[in-house]
This record gives sequence, C-alpha cells and structure tokens, in this order.
Amino acid sequence: MNILEVHNLKKYFATQKAVDGISMQVKEGSIFGLLGPNGAGKTTLLRMITGIFYQDSGEIIFHGKKFDPEKDVEHIGYMPEERGLYKKMKIGEQAIYLAQLKGLSKADARTKIRHWFEKLEMESWWNKKVEDLSKGMSQKLQFVTTVLHNPKLIILDEPFSGLDPVNANLIKDEIYNLAKNGATVIFSTHRMEQVEEICEHIVLVNKGQKILDGKLADIKNDFKENIYQINANAIPDQLINSLFDIEKQTQQKLLIKLKEGTKTNDVLQYFINENIELHSFNEVLPSLNEIFIGLVEGTATARQFQKI
Amino acid sequence: MSKTLLILKREYTTRVKKKAFLITTIMFPVLYIGLIFGTGYLGSRAKQKLDIALLDQSGYFTDSSLAAVNRMDSSTLFTSVTDTSIQSNYKKEGYDGYIIMPALNWQTGMKNIKFITDKTHGSGTESMIGNKLNIIWSEMVNEKLGIDTEKKTVLSSSSISIKEENEQNKNANSKVSATIGYACGFLIYFILLIYGSQVMLGVMEEKTNRIAEVVVSSVKPFQLMLGKILGISLVALTQFLIWVACIFLVYSVGKYLGSGNAVASALVEGIQQSFASINLPLILVCFAFYFMGGFFFYASLYAAVGSAINEDVREAQSLSFPITLLVIFAIFMMTIAIQDPSGPIAVWGSIIPFTSPIVMMARLPFGVPGTVPVWQLALSMSLLIIGFLFSTWVAAKIYRTGILMYGKKPSWKEMLKWAFRK
Repeated sequence: MNILEVHNLKKYFATQKAVDGISMQVKEGSIFGLLGPNGAGKTTLLRMITGIFYQDSGEIIFHGKKFDPEKDVEHIGYMPEERGLYKKMKIGEQAIYLAQLKGLSKADARTKIRHWFEKLEMESWWNKKVEDLSKGMSQKLQFVTTVLHNPKLIILDEPFSGLDPVNANLIKDEIYNLAKNGATVIFSTHRMEQVEEICEHIVLVNKGQKILDGKLADIKNDFKENIYQINANAIPDQLINSLFDIEKQTQQKLLIKLKEGTKTNDVLQYFINENIELHSFNEVLPSLNEIFIGLVEGTATARQFQKI
Repeated sequence: MSKTLLILKREYTTRVKKKAFLITTIMFPVLYIGLIFGTGYLGSRAKQKLDIALLDQSGYFTDSSLAAVNRMDSSTLFTSVTDTSIQSNYKKEGYDGYIIMPALNWQTGMKNIKFITDKTHGSGTESMIGNKLNIIWSEMVNEKLGIDTEKKTVLSSSSISIKEENEQNKNANSKVSATIGYACGFLIYFILLIYGSQVMLGVMEEKTNRIAEVVVSSVKPFQLMLGKILGISLVALTQFLIWVACIFLVYSVGKYLGSGNAVASALVEGIQQSFASINLPLILVCFAFYFMGGFFFYASLYAAVGSAINEDVREAQSLSFPITLLVIFAIFMMTIAIQDPSGPIAVWGSIIPFTSPIVMMARLPFGVPGTVPVWQLALSMSLLIIGFLFSTWVAAKIYRTGILMYGKKPSWKEMLKWAFRK
C-alpha cells in the first residue's frame, strides 16, 4: 500500500516554476530517496507534503485519503534542511515542547524522550541549553524531536550534514530500525553515495520536474552500458575482435564494452580460445552519481529566473 | 486552538522567568519617576548666573532699585556703572554683558534696548532681564501717575476669568480630565512602543534560531503568530497589573499613615475628589479595551515586519519605522485633542484605528456623553475591532511567507504583494 501519493503537483512562485507537475508514489515501510540538484524543487515539494505550503494544483493522498494538513501533520515527522532549535531553552523542556506541538501529552512526551535519550546516550543533556551543544549534538537532538511522536512518515532533508561518521552511522541505524518497525522514510539529498546505501526506491527531480522514478536496482540496470571489467595475468596489446570495444587497458586490467548482440559467454569463449587466463570477469554498473550527473548535466547548473 | 495555547504558554513563561522582566518591572517606574523629578531638578539647578553692567543715562535705574531687583533671585546681578569704557572692557571687569540705558521718555518707554554680550543666551534670558528691569520701570511709572500702594493692589488683583461648564456633565473638571487623559494616552503609547518592538523581536526568534520551518510543520503559521502575540501581550498585562497594584498599595498605605497628618490627608482627599469628578468604571473598562485593542492592532503589524526581516536588527529598525511613526503621530494628535477635546482632529483621531487607542483615551475623561457622544465611542470601538482583525489577517499572510524566507530583505511593496495575493 502507498502511504503517500502525489498526483501532478504544481507550485509556481512569482519567478519560478518550483514544482511543475510532479507525480510519485511512496510505498509504506520503504526508504524512499528524493534526489535532485540544488534548486530542483525538492524543498518546495516537501513543504507541500508537510502542509507548510498549499499546492497551486494537483493532489496529495496521505494514507488513502486526501491530505488534511490540520490532522495529518501529527503523523509526519519533518526535519527540514533549514533547521534549528530555541537556543536559550533547556534541552529537555524544548523536546517536550516540540513533542506537545505534535499532539503528545506532556507525560507521554517525557517518557518517550527519556527512552530516546537513553538510546542515543544523551541523558546528561536534559538540563543543558541548546547553545551549549555542538552542531553534531544539536543535529542528534533534532533527529530525536523529529521521530519522537512515532510518525508514520518521516521526512529527512539532508539528515547527515554536519555529522561525523560515528554519529552518522548511529542515525543511519535508527533510520533502518524505524523503517523495519513500519515507518516510511523519505530521504531528500544530493549526496548520492548515501542514497545508494540506504534507499530502495528513488525519484530524481530537476527544474521542478520528475526525470527518473524507480527501484534503485532497476534504474542501475536501465542505465548499464554493457561494460565489463576483466582481470587477467597478462593481457596482450592487440585484441582485435568483433565482440567488444576496449574502453581502457592496463597490464592486468581491461575495461570492455560489449557490442550489440554479444553475450558474456561469447566473450569468455573468446578469451579461452586466445588462451588468456582470466582472474575475474564482472559487470560494471554505473554509480548513481554518474547517472545523476549524466541526466542533469547539460541543464544549467543554477536555475534561472523565468517569467511565468 | 490548544496548540496556540501551548505556544502562548511557552512565550509567557520564558519571558516572565527572565531576569530582564524583573528588572524592567522595577526599573521602569523608578526611571520614569527619576526622569520627571530629575529633569525638574536639573532645570532648577542649571540656570546660569549673569553679571550685567548697566550704564544708566535715564536716571530711573537707581542703585537702590537695582539692589531690590537683585535680591529677588540670584539668576541675574545688575551693577550700575558710569564709565563708558565698559563697552570695550566689560569682559575684563568680569561682566557677562552690558546694557546702555538711554535717556527715555517715561510715557512711551522704549522697545528693543540692546543687551550686548559675546555669546547668545536665548529668549528666556532676554525676557527675564526685560521683566526685571520692567519692575523698576513700572514702579517709576506708577509713581509718576500718582498710583499709591493701595491702588496698585487693586490693579494687580482685580480681574475676571472664565470656567467652562458642560451642561451634560456638570462634574467635569477639565484640569483633572486633561491630566488623566494625558496619563492614559502616554501609558498606551509607551506600552505600544515597548511591547510592539518586543513582539517584533519575538517573532524574529524563530527565524534567527532557524526553527521556523520545524515549528510550522507542526502548527499553522497563524497559530504561531497568534500564540506569540497573545503571550507577549499577557506579559505586558502582567507587568502593568504589577504597577497598578503597587500604585494602589502606595496609595492605601499613604491614606492609612496620613490619617493623622493634615497634608497627607488633604492630598488623599484631593485624589478622591478628582476621581469623583470622572466616571472611573467607564474609564477603566475603556482603558482595558483600548489597551488590548491597540496592542493587538499594532502588535500584528510589528509581527508582520518581524517575520519579514532576517537576523539584522538594523533592518528591523528601518522597516518598523513607518509603524513607529504612526504611534508617534497618535501622540501628537492626543496633545491637540486634549486642548480641544471636541474639535475635528480629536473626533477623527479618536475614530480612526491607527490613532484611536491613544486619542480616544485622552478624550474619554472629559466625559461621556458630554464630550464624547455615544455614537463616536461605539464607532471607534467597532472600527478598532475591525481594524485589528484586518491587520491580523494581513499580518498573518505576510508572516506565512516571511517566516520561511531567508537572505534578502523584502521591500514594503513585496510585503504588500504577499499580503494580498490569494
């Protein structure tokens, strides 16, 4: 079942078509990646999904029903990219306050916060003020306040920026845990290696429009260019044949691109016939980064202002 | 609604718990009283002493008459001189200036006799010197006309004066009314200015802490704005009530202690009498209404400005200046309204919501319906309600866009665009 469906969503600002007809489905319990270069419209899209902006047209379906910001925000946890905390407030009080705004009772909020603080080794923070925290520490606190009320849908915009590898892993594990326990995570970023690691399904947006949508594995398959890497003992300089083109060659490594119609076994047969001893033979799939750059490249790096 | 209440509670408790609240609550009355007495004290102390040489060619300004004038107070000291060299060496001899009194006709006198100095002393000094010399002069004229001391007393004390009595409101005492009007108007003025900017800075809090987007993903921007304005207004009200309670306490203690003391009991009686001449319950109810109404009206405008600016306080000042100007303009209208509480400026100023909280409060002590007809009061009140609903609505629209904007400072034109687009 889809926890979130977006149909032909549009939001125009005075000088930009920030979101220009995006549709997408997010399956319940999945980790979903929303990718795009800076200024692609990711934040505007997320702001509509979280009820901060009203769309100009289009439809948002949350849990099978029309999205009602008033009620449904209590089931959404949103950690925006532009995030902060009340600097002068005590950390415990602040977490309770933010949880109460999400509809939790004070007592309920307190026990949940204690639980999370214990889990992430933050117990000693309770009576400290936010201004005493480092950037990474306040990031952790922000993550806790985002997921505290057990939201069904968790939206994280660049959640790892400013975190050291240890804390980033800690948060990553929690994201997996939350997904395992049934929450859906939308993960917005332009850091491809994180997406490759975490997400099952991705949508790529550029200039307010969706340009790619699918399972991560399928997308990689779609974009594969039949490139294989071969490791061998000694590779002769001259390998003239009709099966493949040579992309790159060193003493023991060969990168080849199969020609139309060539099967991998044909290639293996060829090497056996040539009496070249292979150590390994494997397919090279494009990294998401390459796909991303390939698709976005050629479009202007920064969005231009336009008349609407 | 419960979320608005939560925000209100946080705004209120964090503010009241701050040391700054305690300090301003104590310091404001102390400073205010200090300001009034301090300037009075300084004013009385700072009067300068002038040594003036008088070269009399008329023969009317004798040494004894000058000595009599010198005894009146020490601000000027006239010394009679005879040598004309005073014109060139008055400074060397320690005088601040000199006057050459020409030979005069006692029946016509003379205007604009020159007081020569080497620095400007201003019109106050000019008229003071003139008055003192005129005392000697008129004494002489009286003598020449044959007016004796008895006739002189009649001349100076016998006069008539006029006192207005409004037939719809016979108790009205225009002096007491004006004083109370001034007090109410200025109180609202101070509270608007002080807490208006508090609201503006308070609204900036979410922006400077970059928490705005987190908060508006849980509550509607309107709820956030309303909670903030209400919370800060309750802080203002708390502070105000503390002051009122203190005044009441001082008054009661004074009344109790002064029961044996003639001066104190006369004072207390005077206060009671002046309050008897006005409709106190009406004034209090109206004060509460205009206090809150005016506060919400201006607070929402300040909130709109606060949401539109970034961390920069200088931006805040330049954008909020037009609003502050309106409040100051209202105080000007008020001073005119107190001089002439039924005049057109007073009437219109007390009806238009931008100025009505201050101007109407200045008019009301003069009496309803004597000075302020009931229809004017009703119109003013309903317009203020409509006004603050409208300003809150506009502010909410600006706030919604402004609170998520970072970077560029918007112009007033852009803010109006945010307010009136769908």
